Amino acid sequence: MSLLAFMEAMGTSNIPLIAAFFIGLMTAISPCPLATNITAIAYASKRIDNSKHTICVGFLYTLGRMFTYVLIASLIVWVGVNTQIVALFLQNYGEKILGPLLIIMGILMLDLIKFNFPQTNNNLSTLKEKLANKGFIGAFLLGVIFALAFCPFSAVLFFGMLIPLAIQAGDSFGIPAVFAFATGLPVILFSFILVKSINKLGAIMNKIQTFELWMRKIIAVIFILVGIYYVVVTII
Amino acid sequence: MKTKYFWVLAISLVLVMGFVFFINRGGTETVATGNAIIASNSAEINIDKLEIYHFHGTHQCYSCITVGDYAEETVNTYFADELKSGKIVFGHINGELPENKDLVIKYGVTSASLWLGTYTRDGQFSAEQNTNVWYKISNKEEYMTYLKGVIEQKLAGN
Repeated sequence: MSLLAFMEAMGTSNIPLIAAFFIGLMTAISPCPLATNITAIAYASKRIDNSKHTICVGFLYTLGRMFTYVLIASLIVWVGVNTQIVALFLQNYGEKILGPLLIIMGILMLDLIKFNFPQTNNNLSTLKEKLANKGFIGAFLLGVIFALAFCPFSAVLFFGMLIPLAIQAGDSFGIPAVFAFATGLPVILFSFILVKSINKLGAIMNKIQTFELWMRKIIAVIFILVGIYYVVVTII
Repeated sequence: MKTKYFWVLAISLVLVMGFVFFINRGGTETVATGNAIIASNSAEINIDKLEIYHFHGTHQCYSCITVGDYAEETVNTYFADELKSGKIVFGHINGELPENKDLVIKYGVTSASLWLGTYTRDGQFSAEQNTNVWYKISNKEEYMTYLKGVIEQKLAGN
């Protein structure tokens, strides 16, 4: 049995949650989500000295994706918003917004442009700052935004396969949540493997700090490259 | 401290997943077919016309082009007589063009897709999206054999 035949058998399983999981895996390896996932892997791997942090960031990124997919499915299944309107809107604008956004984020990461944010001293802003420094808020938001970018093939998988499954089962939470978990799974796994490998290499060479410095620059470049990819995809 | 946060997060996720599985226990018997968007008639019906449309956007992905090309080849290879007589209509439809707006709404198209629209002699219309073809684009022969079977079933009124 070929891999695609296996994915088809699982993706059309009689058990909706299994079907949702495998449709999610197919989505994770399709071109556009793959590009966003590579960006997310880079983002999750920026603290190469801490593999637990990487897993947390990976999970929060997946939670962000979950939030978006559950929201869209709820709008369709419970609120009754027309699938066609949501699908065509997101395919028209999702990709167009994502490209420039990633390029801007990459430039900001490279510190090419400096921003002075207003300083406040209350507890809430201190907490926000702490979370931001750990990359947790960023990871969640990244998941929310990346999940909104639908390319033709990922749109087929989500609107053509998953949404009918959710409508059929009358489930706007479990099915999209499992789907989202599967789309984010490679990010958690690969970033963990990446961090472990670089960490070992860095420890051998006693150069973890140097690696970390370079890692940040590489992440910024990946953001810019993926952003350019999205811009090119929408132009061609 | 970091370990504590990690375990809290991991346990929360396990609980969320457990909850998801729990609330979905009732739904596990629901049949999830890959191609049933709108249920087609199962009784024997006299088919007047079968429309096979490959909907796509202006910017097409590789898989989207392949799905359309293989479908066209299947129809041309196995259903040339039906095409000539008008029993089968095939088309690549750019859903972004204004002139195709009505067709997009009629079929309920949400993305690049392959649709089979059946008109019965008593004037009824039903449309069905076939999503299984996406899993077969890596094997042209398998794709064509599969789609040939689907079209034959449709023409037989199944």
